[in-house]
Amino acid sequence: MKIRMKLVAAAFAAGSLLSAASAQAQESKLDEVLARGHLIVGTGSTNPPWHFKSMSDELQGFDVDMGHIVAEALFGDPDKVEYVIQSSDARIPNLTTGKVDLTCQFMTVTGERAQQVAFTIPYYREGVGLMMKAGGNYADYDALKAAGSDVTISVLQNVYAEEMVHKALPEATVDQYDSVDLMYQALESGRSDAAATDQSSLAWYMAQNPGRYVDAGYGWNPQSYSCAVARGDMDWLHFVDTALHEAMTGVAFDTYAASFKKWFGRDLPPPQIGFPVEYK
Amino acid sequence: MDPIRFGEMLWLARMPILKGLGMTVSISALAIILGTLLGIFVGLSLTYGARPLRWLVRGYTDFIRGTPVLVLVLASYYVLSTVGLDLTAFQAGVLALTVFCSSHVGEILRGALQSIPKGQIEAAKAIGLTFRETFAYILGPQALRQALPAWVNTAAEMVKASTLLSIIGVSELLLRTQELISRTFMSLEFYFFAGLLYFTINYAIEHLGRYVERKTAVPS
Repeated sequence: MKIRMKLVAAAFAAGSLLSAASAQAQESKLDEVLARGHLIVGTGSTNPPWHFKSMSDELQGFDVDMGHIVAEALFGDPDKVEYVIQSSDARIPNLTTGKVDLTCQFMTVTGERAQQVAFTIPYYREGVGLMMKAGGNYADYDALKAAGSDVTISVLQNVYAEEMVHKALPEATVDQYDSVDLMYQALESGRSDAAATDQSSLAWYMAQNPGRYVDAGYGWNPQSYSCAVARGDMDWLHFVDTALHEAMTGVAFDTYAASFKKWFGRDLPPPQIGFPVEYK
Repeated sequence: MDPIRFGEMLWLARMPILKGLGMTVSISALAIILGTLLGIFVGLSLTYGARPLRWLVRGYTDFIRGTPVLVLVLASYYVLSTVGLDLTAFQAGVLALTVFCSSHVGEILRGALQSIPKGQIEAAKAIGLTFRETFAYILGPQALRQALPAWVNTAAEMVKASTLLSIIGVSELLLRTQELISRTFMSLEFYFFAGLLYFTINYAIEHLGRYVERKTAVPS
């Protein structure tokens, strides 16, 4: 993965040298997209509930819905959008080389990335959570913590996995697994007491298997997920920001809330009417 | 592993898998056909070309053969778009594989042609054949037999290299498989199945190669 990322970066660096030579003042992406008549959004296809293929082979998920929301704001038609499938490594190069207008692909906002692309406002806050079997030995996070090293947590294999779990449960035993299915299987078979991974993945899995599992009710390792656009086009960035902002607080709230419910299984309270929620 | 549940999932996913298989076969077929045509030109230039042309083509083959296919794929997708050639992921992928294939076919053909004793060309000249005739009746048929096994090997390599196009978002068999795994969580089963399909394609290529070898063999 690391090597692949370097290759993408190198290919892109070679490209940007050439493009820098031909850089010129251009009209905003906003005008370009409007003239074209449809929006081009880059996203992935292998990560539910963010972006994945349905049984009928259609791209769907929360990231995909964000693309529809921006298309609705542009054309009054959520379907005037074309999705370009890209790997996670391709998120930044595809923006900087103009292959896509906008990328919505569970992109964690970091300072390093913000130097290469312009992030929109966040549309989700990701964190790590703990999922347990319903009616199991432990009631909630406090019970897990109190049990100390008696508790076994299954996680996806990762260099930081142990450290990540110990931030929340300092004494817990950590079992690492190669793939998501094995991690959930460990929980199902009782080899672990809880599974620790991204809350969105847990929420999706729980929504798929209603009543079987419960959330331990604790989240940590916060990270913001934002869409991103190419740098240097304030008009376009501002437009996408506005579209997302109004989806979370204004006219398109129902669309956003329906999508949130569909993929994460939770109802969102409507924004408070009266004084704008942003400044409370 | 639960074979019944996997069978059910496989049946539900038959269309995406078939589409992915079709994509993999078309990418590979295009790359092999175009790469072979270009490779024949490369091989002829390397063996019989005038010195400047030979040097140019030598530089091309050495550069391409010394570059990982993944780098070629990324370069044709990203670098070319910055110089105004905006290819789709599919086109860029086929271009990269074609170029890669051509350099290998070129070298195979050069090796095959150079393995034919010089005396034969001299003898052909002595009986008054033009170069075109010499190639068509004497060098070509022998080189074909020499090159065939190595060419089949390159063709199979192309099928395997087509998996790299999943990185630039071409929905070939590997990406389709990963999409299915992300939804069903059955990684082992679906990867194994994809492996089986790749094996089947390459097994078919190998048999086709053997068939052509038999047909073109010198009767003894």
